[in-house]
Amino acid sequence: MKLEQLRISQFRQFREPLVIDGFGPGLNLICGPNESGKSTLVRAIRAAFFERHSSGTLTDLRPWGDSGAAPEVELRFSHADRQWQLSKRFLQRKRCDLTIDGQRFNGDEAEEQLAAMLGFNVASRGASKAEHWGIPGLLWIEQGMGQELDEAVSHAGDHLKSVLGASLGEVTSSGGDEVIRQARVQLDELLTGTGKPRGDYKLSGERIAVLDEELQALDQRIGAYRQQVDRLGELRQQQAGDEADKPWEALRVQQQEAERKYAEVQRQTEEQQRDLQALEQVRGHRQIVLEQLRSHEEQAKDLQQRQGKCQQLQQQLEQLAGQQAELVAAQDAALAAYQQAQQQERQARQWARRETLERERQRLLKQQQQLQLSLEQARLLQNELVTQQQALAAVRINDQQLAQLEQLHNQLRELDIRQQSIATRLRYELLPGQQLSLDQQQLSGSDELLLLQETQLDIAGIGKLIITPGGQDLATLARKTEHARDQLQVLLEQLRVSSLDEAREQLQLAKAQNAAIHANRKLLASHAPAGIEALEQDAAGVVARLAELEQELGALEMPVGEAAVATAAVDTGLAEQILQQAAAQLQQREAATGKHNEQLIGLRQNLASAEEECRLLQTRLDDPQHMQQQRKLNDNLLTLRAEEARLEQQSNERAARIASARPDILQQDIQRYRSSAAQLEQGFNQRREELLALQGRLQGEGADGLEEHRASLAAELESEHRRYHQLDRRARALALLHNLLSEKRQQLTRRLQAPLQKHLDHYLQLLFPQATLEVDENLMPGRLLRHGQDASEFATLSFGAREQMGLISRLAYADLLREAGRPTLIILDDALVHSDQPRLGQMKRILFDAAQRHQVLLFSCHPDKWRDMGVPVRELEGLKTAAIEG
Amino acid sequence: MPRFLHTADWQIGRQYDRFGPEDGPALAQARLTTVERIAALATELAVDAVLVAGDVFDAQTISDRTVRRLFMALQGFGGPWVMLPGNHDAALAESIWSRARRLNAIPDNVHVLLTAEPLLLAEQGLAILPAPLTQRQTFSDLTDWFDHAPTPLHLLRIGLAHGSVQGILAEDIDSPNPIDPQRAAHARLDYLALGDWHGCRQIDDRTWYSGTPEQDRFKSNGAGQVLDVQIDAPGAAPQVKPVAMGEFTWLQWQRRLQVASDLDALIEELEQIERSSVISLTLEGELDLAGEQRLQAALGRAEARHRVLECQLDGMRLLPTEADIAALQVDGYLDEVVGQLRDMQQADEPEVAREALAILAGLLRERQAGGAAV
Repeated sequence: MKLEQLRISQFRQFREPLVIDGFGPGLNLICGPNESGKSTLVRAIRAAFFERHSSGTLTDLRPWGDSGAAPEVELRFSHADRQWQLSKRFLQRKRCDLTIDGQRFNGDEAEEQLAAMLGFNVASRGASKAEHWGIPGLLWIEQGMGQELDEAVSHAGDHLKSVLGASLGEVTSSGGDEVIRQARVQLDELLTGTGKPRGDYKLSGERIAVLDEELQALDQRIGAYRQQVDRLGELRQQQAGDEADKPWEALRVQQQEAERKYAEVQRQTEEQQRDLQALEQVRGHRQIVLEQLRSHEEQAKDLQQRQGKCQQLQQQLEQLAGQQAELVAAQDAALAAYQQAQQQERQARQWARRETLERERQRLLKQQQQLQLSLEQARLLQNELVTQQQALAAVRINDQQLAQLEQLHNQLRELDIRQQSIATRLRYELLPGQQLSLDQQQLSGSDELLLLQETQLDIAGIGKLIITPGGQDLATLARKTEHARDQLQVLLEQLRVSSLDEAREQLQLAKAQNAAIHANRKLLASHAPAGIEALEQDAAGVVARLAELEQELGALEMPVGEAAVATAAVDTGLAEQILQQAAAQLQQREAATGKHNEQLIGLRQNLASAEEECRLLQTRLDDPQHMQQQRKLNDNLLTLRAEEARLEQQSNERAARIASARPDILQQDIQRYRSSAAQLEQGFNQRREELLALQGRLQGEGADGLEEHRASLAAELESEHRRYHQLDRRARALALLHNLLSEKRQQLTRRLQAPLQKHLDHYLQLLFPQATLEVDENLMPGRLLRHGQDASEFATLSFGAREQMGLISRLAYADLLREAGRPTLIILDDALVHSDQPRLGQMKRILFDAAQRHQVLLFSCHPDKWRDMGVPVRELEGLKTAAIEG
Repeated sequence: MPRFLHTADWQIGRQYDRFGPEDGPALAQARLTTVERIAALATELAVDAVLVAGDVFDAQTISDRTVRRLFMALQGFGGPWVMLPGNHDAALAESIWSRARRLNAIPDNVHVLLTAEPLLLAEQGLAILPAPLTQRQTFSDLTDWFDHAPTPLHLLRIGLAHGSVQGILAEDIDSPNPIDPQRAAHARLDYLALGDWHGCRQIDDRTWYSGTPEQDRFKSNGAGQVLDVQIDAPGAAPQVKPVAMGEFTWLQWQRRLQVASDLDALIEELEQIERSSVISLTLEGELDLAGEQRLQAALGRAEARHRVLECQLDGMRLLPTEADIAALQVDGYLDEVVGQLRDMQQADEPEVAREALAILAGLLRERQAGGAAV
């Protein structure tokens, strides 16, 4: 399509007619400052194509304030080797004329032709809106809208797709999307997004479940109902049978028969009881009679025994009487022997006493001598001891005193030695004959003196020498010596000795004396342990005893003659023994005699009583009454035996009869018949009640119309099943259809996108080498993939980038359209105002390239920006002037 | 010259809800109105009695209301009605009959024969020997006793029984209650009125199944009639005349559509059914979209004209022709989908593919219609 001439008049700011012609086949730059009318020109072209000439709402097309104006647009263009001339007048004298190679179209028809040719829709009424614009909406970019692509593409979508489809040489679907949508809508009515039933489909499934359940419940009720009806029939039959037969009555008859039999047995049992008692009595009687007879026999036997005993006793008595004389003789001999033994024993005892006394007298005489001797010795020793003790008492010194004496002595000696050692020595050697007087003591010869005190030496003739021993000590010593000497003297006097040696000697003497005393005392103690006086008493005692013995001996009569010798030979012990033996013998004899006498007496008594008893028994047995009684008893016994035999036989036979009648079983029979009858009758009554209850229940249930209801439910269920099946099939059919449609559509879209992709890539490489721009199923640009950068969605690109991508996409669409032989006029109203210099440079290359294939009208207020496009810039102001001039 | 109507198997209380809330009750109601028509016919023909050979009721537990309605439907005929319990309404210990009696719903001129005893209708010249079922099923011949039952010689001996005549009927009969095929002869019956077989059928000269007076299943065996029986005198041959009674005919058709003329024939056939009927139609074969549209239109018309029209189309395949596709203006990938669905009808689940195709065709037609309207 190539626009050749544009003419407008009374159109907004162009009140006067304006004609622009000389449009080139490629890029046409029309520049002018703001408000100069660029957009008005674009609006005029749009109005010419899109707006219905008949619309009355397009008042904005009028010049401002000119309500009588008739805006008019005339376009001349060529397309598909044909010349098109379009003339449209709005609001006043509205008309639309289209000439295509001389063929004229008017009004709506003309507008339809245009729409079909360019690919847009005519608004049914009012002003044309974006959704009507179709392909021109995509290629004619309004001011400031270059970056907005979504709407334009969606409005052009169908046109584009059909064009693209045609370009592939395939028949695409003109209403496919709508069909898919419808299928989807219908599918959504039946299935959820996840493929689960919903709506009627779901309700139908649920209804089936509910109906199934109800039907089952109802079937159960019907089954139960039928069972109960059958039961009712059975019960009725049984009841009728029972009512007719009354089976319990037959049982009662049987029960009575059993009772009768049982009573008979009972009666017999009682008789038996009586008979058994009688038998028992007879047996008792018989026993008594037997016992009585036995007692009679025993009495006779007893008498015989007793008579025998009497004889025996008599014999014994005689025997004993024979033995008596012998026994008396023996006793007398024993008594004599005892008396002799007694005499002998007394004599023997006297002899033994004399012997004893004599031995004691001898012993006492000896003791008397000894005592006399000891007494003499003891008296001697006593005297000696007195002497010795007197001597000892003279000695006063003891060991301690001696020790003190010796100490003093030693002290004196020491003092003397010390005196001499410090005393002034005076040695003199006098010429013979010479003398000296020393303290009036005459000295001669030679000697040595020790001077212990002031000493006066008188030398005859010469005078006198007074020598005073030097030093204090000497005087002290002299005093000590003096003191010690005094002490010694005192002690000596005290001890009554003259010297130390004497003291020693005396002490020694005292000790010896002491030892002698000690020895003598011991000796004395051995002679007279209890003292001399006791010894004397002992001696006196012995003498007195001797006198007694002499007297006693004299009193004892001494046996004479042979007796004395015999007596002397017999020991007293032996005599006693003989006596004891004799006494025992005597006692034994006496006891034997006594016992014999007692036996005799006892026997005599026994014999007497036995004889008495025999007599009594004999009397009784001989009684005639007794005889008669015995005969009677024997008769009784016979009778009783016969009766016993009879009773035994009778009761044995009856017992067999009773046993064979089995009364226990008879009792069980009675019980059995009775309870059977009762049960039957009770069953009958219970059944009657069950019948009534069952009947009532069934009447209630029957009225509910169970089976009718069931049939209805079953039919409903079947119908619901059919409906469910239909819905199910429909759902599956819709799903299948939807899937198929979507699948096909997707496949097709992918095929359709291929050529668009090719054109997009062509332009994109100029801007971003190696980049790709994806296209979605609606042919919308999607992600932009640039080398070395993250992918970015179209919508997230910067304003400038979106404008650039938008233009590239539109140019690609235009290329597609052109390949399909569709008109492609591109109008850019102030395009690419947001692009920076480098990008703008690239975009210019792109635009220039596109202009090789498409006519492009570019309106701009920046003419200098577009000077390098290789085409002249047409100034709008200039065009206006030309028009006025023209 | 006694004359009576022989009918059976009224099956009152049978439910047809599967035909929907509108048609179901109508079919149930039809059974009652048919009884009314029988009463009217009896009066019109001035017959001596109406014999109903069992299964008056469809079940034992029918609602009281329905029970009352049945007996009220008898009002049109004042002569004796003789009713026999069948297997569906057997004279059990507790039965629909005992209930009807409790409800006091049974008019005096209705004789319900619950026991095997002769009913003497001297005035009408009839001695009825009934064989009532007292169990749902028996395996002995309940008509045995007819042989030895004495009846007054001047009365017709009419047997009334419900069951299957042995060795004559097919095996799929309703109940096992057996009846000796020679019963009429053995028991010297003038006529043996039988029930249980829903079609009308003659067994021998004197033995008939009347069938149900109102058809209730798709089986074309003479159902929907009553028998008008006339016997001149004891021993005379009965003159039996079937009289159509039913309101609805039940038709079950199976057709195969192969070529275009098959469809034409079917449509023609449907159009020619005069009376309102219950129709079950099973179709198989192939149709193009245009044919399908015509078929649907014809079915729609038939549905409106008839009581019930059930269609089973699972065996059908939709094979759109070039013309169909052109007519629907199918283009692009839609065309491919149509082709694919057509092919899928050869594979598994052909009915799903067919339905999908039908839906698609419907959508396309709607679109076309919508497009045309603009």
